[in-house]
Amino acid sequence: MVINSNINNVKTKTIGEIFSKDPKIICRHVDVFYGDKQAIKDVSIDISSREIISFIGPSGCGKSTFLRCLNRMNDTIDTCKVKGTILLDKDDIYDEKIDVVPLRAKIGMVFQKPNPFPKSIYENVAYGPRIHGLSSSKEELDFIVENSLKDSGLWQEVKDRLNSPGTGLSGGQQQRLCIARAIAVSPEIILMDEPCSALDPIATAKIEELINQLGKNYSIVIVTHSMQQAARISQRTAYFHLGELIEVGETKKIFTRPKDKQTEAYISGRIG
Amino acid sequence: MNEYSLLIILLLISTLWFYFGNKTALSLKKKQLKLNSLPHYYGIYVALYSFIPALFSYLLILVFDGILFSNLIIEFVPKEILNSPDFNKIIVLAQIDNAVRGIYFGEQPDWVTIASNQMIEWNYHSLILNFFCSISLALGIGYLGFKNINEEFRSRNSVEKIIISLLGLSSIIAILTTIGIVFSVIFESLRFFAIIPASEFLFGLIWNPQFEGAERAGSGQEGLATYGSVPLFVGTFLISLIALCVSVPIGLFSAVYLSEYANKKERSIFKPLLEILAGIPTVVYGFFAALTVAPLMRNGGSLIGLDVASESALAAGFVMGIMIIPFISSLSDDVINAVPQSLRDAGYGLGSTKNEVITNVIIPAALPGIIASIILAVSRAIGETMIVVMAAGLAANLSFNPLDAVTTVTAQIVTILVGDQEFESAKTLSAFALALTLIVITLILNFYALHVVKKYREQYE
Ligand SMILES: Nc1ncnc2c1ncn2[C@@H]1O[C@H](COP(=O)(O)OP(=O)(O)O)[C@@H](O)[C@H]1O
Ligand SMILES: [Mg+2]
Repeated sequence: MVINSNINNVKTKTIGEIFSKDPKIICRHVDVFYGDKQAIKDVSIDISSREIISFIGPSGCGKSTFLRCLNRMNDTIDTCKVKGTILLDKDDIYDEKIDVVPLRAKIGMVFQKPNPFPKSIYENVAYGPRIHGLSSSKEELDFIVENSLKDSGLWQEVKDRLNSPGTGLSGGQQQRLCIARAIAVSPEIILMDEPCSALDPIATAKIEELINQLGKNYSIVIVTHSMQQAARISQRTAYFHLGELIEVGETKKIFTRPKDKQTEAYISGRIG
Repeated sequence: MNEYSLLIILLLISTLWFYFGNKTALSLKKKQLKLNSLPHYYGIYVALYSFIPALFSYLLILVFDGILFSNLIIEFVPKEILNSPDFNKIIVLAQIDNAVRGIYFGEQPDWVTIASNQMIEWNYHSLILNFFCSISLALGIGYLGFKNINEEFRSRNSVEKIIISLLGLSSIIAILTTIGIVFSVIFESLRFFAIIPASEFLFGLIWNPQFEGAERAGSGQEGLATYGSVPLFVGTFLISLIALCVSVPIGLFSAVYLSEYANKKERSIFKPLLEILAGIPTVVYGFFAALTVAPLMRNGGSLIGLDVASESALAAGFVMGIMIIPFISSLSDDVINAVPQSLRDAGYGLGSTKNEVITNVIIPAALPGIIASIILAVSRAIGETMIVVMAAGLAANLSFNPLDAVTTVTAQIVTILVGDQEFESAKTLSAFALALTLIVITLILNFYALHVVKKYREQYE
């Protein structure tokens, strides 16, 4: 609840525009430790409403770690400690009074490897609405499931076999099922950790199209290894290196006129 | 010179072949020839090639000369002994065998001395034959193998093939043993069913096996033997059911606790402790059940006005349940741990609590394994004997009441076969019929378990 009056008065080494006029999430001086090892160092950044922002950077630079701070998924790792401030709509999500259950319903997540539950397609999508009590009748639940599957572009392909196992779908379909499962609880933000890295180019193209669609209604934070992907789908891009946020800015600018040498080196393929 | 020294000679010969094979391969290599395999494979190849056929002939002669000679030696037994009413081949053979070994009990009849001398001579010839056959095989076939060596010969693949067939042979031996046991049980059961009709055995409600003509204990009259096995299977079923009611929840919950809630330290303490339960001998469980639990239940029952038999299905089932907890907890713990982290992440990512993730995601995903562990526990419970013999009693009551004394199939088999038996009697043979039915039931259970596991697996993978 603490709204720091000088929240936009931050000292940071990050180059570029970390602030947003319409911030959904505000991160200030975030440090993350795995035991004694520091994985994220003093990261400050805003994430706007209805924007698609991509996190890029070499492997092991902490993109996933930072992403997982935003919905407190790091809580599930015993050794992981998060310091600093992360505000969602001006509420500190690491406040003791915050319950992670509604928080994670507000911030959906899609993982690197498609991970549908070993249940039917219908049950996969209905899982979230069920545990959060979002529907009072079977009809309502059917409606949510159908809409989520439509929004994730899967409805036409699966409407005749909603009761067959979700694990029987192709990789790309599974990932879209996971997206449908995430949007079924009406989140405001969707975090995606390399959602296409296990998929073939055609499935990837479908997911990218879907992400572009979803960007109209949700804030989307996507970690990606593919610079082209970041360029194709995101409005803003953040470059991480060794746990630090080096540069943030409009995707176009980052890819055409990076201000930082490291960013330039990575984008031109010299750091992998 | 005896059988053992022959075995050592065979081993020595194959070691020599190894040496020669290896050496030849090395010398080929020295000549800059590109060998197909590493040199020692050539050595191993020749060694195995010489040893295995020789070993077979060695074992064959060793086993079959005994059988042959014991049949031939009967010729030496005088007619009057052969035809006398108490002639017993086993005793006669043992008499001769003792003489061969130089063990004498009192005065030796002449024919025993003659027979044993003949036997010693035969044994000697057989040993010579064995020496000759095995050693010439080891040398001859070894030489054939040795001849095979040249730079193109693929000794590595051949060694691989020999090893595969040895491994296959071992599994065939295991399978044949099982089949042998099953068939012997089937044949003895058929003899039983020739005396007692199968329908009486399978559907009869009274189990009261008697030796022919034996009087019923204390009654002074000849008892009527009845072989209705239903009470035994009902007892088995009842006790297993009670055991499952105890062990499934406790085992499953502790597995969930161990894999999802306990930290590393707690896990390292609790898991071995639980597994100790599996290591306690069943006799100990048995007298724990009979001397501690059963009286406790009887007294507890009388306090609340229940009439609990001093040997009750409840006591036996309860203790058996404790015994099989580790089967369920340990196996379930393994399968729960094998559920991929990504599924947990998916659950938490949607805002599930830990408990929701466990009940909605982890347990369903681990279900095939959990079911398999439960079915394994059931087979264990059905086959368990000691606890039942001690704690459930031997009274074949047909009762579904857990407070009554009941008996089980295994407990009856024990009582039938303990002590003196008349081998041809229906009573003794009934043990085989019981065993056969038990085997069939366990088999059906296992097939069903496999079927369930497969069905779920198809659905989940
Ligand atoms: N569960 C963990 N325990 C300890 N160290 C971790 C864990 N997860 C990640 N790390 C470490 O944190 C750093 C950042 O990892 P990560 O966020 O996965 O990088 P990225 O997603 O950018 O490839 C790496 O050095 C990694 O070794
Ligand atoms: Mg990562």
